Amino acid sequence: MSNEYKLIGKDFVPPDITGKVTGKAKYAEDFRADGMVFARMYTSPMAHGKVTSINTEQAEAMEGVVGILTAEDVPEVTAPDAAILTNTPAYIGDPILAIAAETEQICEDAMATIEVEIEPLPFVTDPLDSLVDGGPNARTEGNAYARSREGSGFQTIKWSQQQVDDFRAGKEPTGDFVSEWSYGDLDNSFAEAELVIEEPFVTIGYAHMSMEPRTAMAYWQNGTCYVHGSSQSQSYFMPGLARMLGVETKDVVLISENTGGGFGSKIGAYPIAALPGYFSKKIGRPVQLRVTREQEYYMGSARVGFQGWIKMGFGADGKITASDVFIIEDIGPNATGGDASSAGGAISMVYDPSAMRFRGLPVLTNTTPRGAQRGPGQNQIAAVMAPIMDKAAKVLGIDRVEIRKINSTNNDTIVYADRRPVTSAYMDEALQQGADMFDWQNRKNQPKKKGKKVRGLGVGQGYHSAGATGFDGLVRLTPDGKLHIHSGVGNLGTYSFASTSRAAAEVLKCDWERCEIHRGNTENHLPWSSYQAGSVTIFSHTRTNYVAAMDALDKMKRIAAQTMGGEPGDYDIDGQRVFLIEDPAQGMSYGAIAARAIQLGGDYSGAVYPDDIHEITQRAVQNIAGSGLIGVAKDNLHQEGVIPGLAVAFCEIELDLETGKYDILDYVGIAECGTVIHPKGLAQQMKGGAVWGMGMAGLERHVYDPQNGLPANIGYHQCGIPTYLDVPSVTKTDAVNIADPQNPFGARGIGEPAMGCSVAALQSAISDALDGHIFGRTPISPDMVVNHVMGRDQSFLPLQTNNF
Amino acid sequence: MDIATYKDDVWGQEVLNGVSWDLLWLVIVLAFIFIAGHAIYETTRKRAQKPSSKGARVNRHEAIDRLFHWVMAGSVFVLLITGIFPIIGLNFAWLEIHWIAGIILTIVVVFHILRSFTQDLSSMALGPSDLKEALDETVKPGKYSPAQKSMHMVVSILTLLVIGSGLIMFLQIETPWWERPNSLSEATLGLVFFVHGISTLGLIGVICLHIYFGLRPEKLFYTRSMIKGWISREELNAHHDQQRWNPDETT
Amino acid sequence: MASFDVMPEVQLFQPAELDDALKLADELGSDGWLLGGGQDTYGWLKDRAKQPRAMIDLNGIEALQGIRKTDDGMEIGAATILRDIIRNEDINRDYSLLSQAASRVASPQIRNVGTLGGNLSQDTRCWYYRRGLDCYRAGGNICYADGPQSMNREHAVIGASRCVAVSPSDTATALLALDATMVAENTEGQRVLAAEDFFVGPNTHITQMTALKPGEILSAIRIPKKWASQRFYWEKVADRDVWDFALVSIAVSMAMDGNKIADSRFVCGGVACTPHRLTNVEQAVRGRTLSNESADAVAPLASEGCKPLNYNHFKLPLMENLVRRAMRG
Repeated sequence: MSNEYKLIGKDFVPPDITGKVTGKAKYAEDFRADGMVFARMYTSPMAHGKVTSINTEQAEAMEGVVGILTAEDVPEVTAPDAAILTNTPAYIGDPILAIAAETEQICEDAMATIEVEIEPLPFVTDPLDSLVDGGPNARTEGNAYARSREGSGFQTIKWSQQQVDDFRAGKEPTGDFVSEWSYGDLDNSFAEAELVIEEPFVTIGYAHMSMEPRTAMAYWQNGTCYVHGSSQSQSYFMPGLARMLGVETKDVVLISENTGGGFGSKIGAYPIAALPGYFSKKIGRPVQLRVTREQEYYMGSARVGFQGWIKMGFGADGKITASDVFIIEDIGPNATGGDASSAGGAISMVYDPSAMRFRGLPVLTNTTPRGAQRGPGQNQIAAVMAPIMDKAAKVLGIDRVEIRKINSTNNDTIVYADRRPVTSAYMDEALQQGADMFDWQNRKNQPKKKGKKVRGLGVGQGYHSAGATGFDGLVRLTPDGKLHIHSGVGNLGTYSFASTSRAAAEVLKCDWERCEIHRGNTENHLPWSSYQAGSVTIFSHTRTNYVAAMDALDKMKRIAAQTMGGEPGDYDIDGQRVFLIEDPAQGMSYGAIAARAIQLGGDYSGAVYPDDIHEITQRAVQNIAGSGLIGVAKDNLHQEGVIPGLAVAFCEIELDLETGKYDILDYVGIAECGTVIHPKGLAQQMKGGAVWGMGMAGLERHVYDPQNGLPANIGYHQCGIPTYLDVPSVTKTDAVNIADPQNPFGARGIGEPAMGCSVAALQSAISDALDGHIFGRTPISPDMVVNHVMGRDQSFLPLQTNNF
Repeated sequence: MDIATYKDDVWGQEVLNGVSWDLLWLVIVLAFIFIAGHAIYETTRKRAQKPSSKGARVNRHEAIDRLFHWVMAGSVFVLLITGIFPIIGLNFAWLEIHWIAGIILTIVVVFHILRSFTQDLSSMALGPSDLKEALDETVKPGKYSPAQKSMHMVVSILTLLVIGSGLIMFLQIETPWWERPNSLSEATLGLVFFVHGISTLGLIGVICLHIYFGLRPEKLFYTRSMIKGWISREELNAHHDQQRWNPDETT
Repeated sequence: MASFDVMPEVQLFQPAELDDALKLADELGSDGWLLGGGQDTYGWLKDRAKQPRAMIDLNGIEALQGIRKTDDGMEIGAATILRDIIRNEDINRDYSLLSQAASRVASPQIRNVGTLGGNLSQDTRCWYYRRGLDCYRAGGNICYADGPQSMNREHAVIGASRCVAVSPSDTATALLALDATMVAENTEGQRVLAAEDFFVGPNTHITQMTALKPGEILSAIRIPKKWASQRFYWEKVADRDVWDFALVSIAVSMAMDGNKIADSRFVCGGVACTPHRLTNVEQAVRGRTLSNESADAVAPLASEGCKPLNYNHFKLPLMENLVRRAMRG
């Protein structure tokens, strides 16, 4: 594509903005249907147990109560998978039953009369407590769960007290683990190292904190289940939802116009989204389940926590020779994780050690189910690595930015255990751009201490793979001359559904005002799309819209040639016209082309379509066939190697040694995500990611009472999300903006690294302010700083997790 | 009126919380109804002439036993005041005084039990013959009447219950010697609270009667004996069978 | 487990006169709920952890509103919102300790509706208690926050008795340091309580935070002239700078005699169930100047008698550091 884009790289007003600022945007709970009733859930008060009896007699007799749904009414699942409703709850808040009534108040009045007897089972909230010999298992089937291509299953893994004690003391773990990968000659690489650093670490998990709880409303019409849900993705959500509802994908309609945040917790269909469907079927009325804030904290997913040990080898020149990492990951009750191996992958990508080993041990706990959260694994390890890199720089006498540049990912970097290339990478350039913008050299020479306050400078790096392929694009030109871009991309608040749609308009040189995006409802005929997670959307859907638009372009030229003579190659487009290159006055408007396509039928009108497109796209095409010129294609563009999304951040803090508090004085974030598609959207991603990273670095964490399995954080206040005054008033961002060769527009994704670089930079800055002290823990709270400065022990055990 | 109160435990399952303190008023009312009834009955009853306290004296309670009694009485009063007043809305910092008094009570009760083995246990033992004795006005008791033995028995059981449950509760609070262990299940803790509460209520009832009888004119000499140690020979003759209890004379 | 999160049936009275409110409060007794800004009301009611029969909305009563100068200082109506206190010129001039404290309460949105009376009377934020558990404070027989494994970073380091919760009020510490008095009224009349007597601890009142009895309404807060325009120091350390409760806070009033401290009040928040006066520090600073030496000399006294729980021993050095900062001048 040309560098002279009309739309790509330019700001625009995404079509959903007006609704969001006026309050007119509709979310799942804003919808009503005739005869609709409300449902509320009864959830487990126990961290692990077995329901022995349920008495709903009184509730059922109450006026206004319409029905009760229990585990017997929904499909049974096999542990550790999450059920819609369960009789063997494995965490506090695990849904047991639901009541439907004319009003929510009646639901809750009825709920107060429900008697559920539960036999308690052993439970655990800290993986190390389960791992130690004689410790409780979170599931009766075992305490660890391995997922691999070779097979998945429960295991029971125990370490001796001595092994746990040694691990807590910072020694290399010697207990069993379940997964391992490596490359290079680890022993030799460590032997060659000038400096070896070993550090234990903890990153405590915490809630996804979606502002919109996972509310859903459902009803059935002629065998089709209509679900108004809250989902990150649109089309990608469908097959899973259909599977959970026990119907075919074609028999489900998902309406999700706006989503109040998902952050990884609403990627694909989640069980509770299917509850209203089952309930509606049972009672024959539309049902809306509005999940409460408290329940959202119980079941709304959380970041995986790490307890680990890392050993890094550095050459005298600062080059990382070897990395050995062992991670116990807290995978909650449903064995949802995988963050640890991703963390290993991130080490490989960002720090490029010549040899590396990863060992992982996923341990079950009776805490909130875990799920991918922005940079799952990559961001935890970014936080861990930043102070370690700083320590190495200090010992080796190298500038802290320089040591990162020495190890920076570039176009020749080979990553991961399977030693794959990258599509392109410019970490060095990002670091330099950030250092210049932040004025690193000058700042680092400023005096550090002023009374009881001390300045700290931090630099952090973030990474996540940022692209996926194989999804479909669908565009349609109608006789009124409009370009309709059908997008199965979910609207999770990043505007990516809109910015990627502009790729089609760019290809077809169509004025943005003459484009209409169709999205948010299966009945808007949406193609098969990616999952709006893993930072893939920008890369994936600029490609899908590109291939669909190219298909349309090809058809437009063929129609022009067919109608006006000559070959398709004789024609070009501009100004909403297809014209003869040799005589631009001769041409057809887009409207005329579309009308002609309808007349011609066949692949022009969508009556015929490629057979490699997904069944969801096929149905969409079938439904709009004959309404215009159809451009539809699967993204079969060339793609090989890892598609990196990279980001760096610099920050300066002023830390108060007497209170343990710090102010973030300045922050610079640089994205390395190929071509910038939507500058304001990117800036928002970088700023939002920065705030999130600041929360992870200093505020957010799960806290569980281990004696009773109780979660302390079940509300916004307790969860400690950063507020306006906890973040810098100005967050500066920019991008490297060098095109990636494997995207037609040069774009890669950025969502997740935007946060990873922030948490890393802040951890680095805190460490710098405290003369290089490594807490080895997120978050670092004021009490930890005070205790450290005053030479007092910390309150918690080394490597303890889910604690204050 | 409930006997017990219930609460949800940490996992929302219903467990005992303790006794229902509404019963306090019931106990007090019942005790006073009994007292009033008894007082009326006694005033209508023909009574033998009160024996003189003059003349020779015999030893009824040794000093150490009297000391025990009054220390126990004092600690029980402190325990009742510190335990009950906050419940009825008279707030003050009661907990430390309560457990200190509880320890004192425990010590003196243990002392009393140990000492009792050196004493004539049978004089306080309640047996089938006591029932007969109680019903036959012509039979005089030994050192203690069936009513006194019954009172002692009831007080002993209630005191042991209140001490036993109190000690368990004591182990569950923070003291200078240990931290809160939170080691009992809430159901067990509720049961302990219930036992402590119900035995306290029982004690309040019997203490009301004990005081009442102790202050009744015809029994006042027993109270005096608990203060001064002696009763008169005449009182002994009037109320006791010297075949069964023949104490030494004292000055 | 129901999470409720929906308002139950509850009556709402909106009296316009204090007398009517007092009558209602008297009639309803413990079944009544006094409604100020509602920030410590709706959560309780929606969770059904508290189940009053009726709410008495105090916001429409003029007698409970406003900031007035009196012969002996100032009087603030209990239903005065915190924003008005923060913006009041007289308070900012004479009792800036209070406006500083009020300005750190919660968030601007909450300060726009939250009242001074409500801030003072609010219940503790112990997360176990707020969960609706039947602990001592809720009439049960156990403290979940004070077990061997309890998560009690935010709890008391002094003055605990079975319950280890702390007073969350920011304005309470300031008012104690200003020797304020609280006017409590009921149908029989009014009583005026010293701030120190208004806040009650678990050793005497385990289910209450204030000495207010059922049927009583806090009508006004009086601040004597004694500390007007004296030297003040206020600081709150919380995890977050908005919408958070103090880990430890300090409110200090100092009457200076030349460059020496003639009299003072040092009050810590977030460390005990009531605002905690550091009387030993007050005695020790008498006659001292504000200096680093004084600061270092008296600071260790701040944590005397404290007994930390599992996760809150950091409060001890924090208390000392805050005293140190107040003394540096």
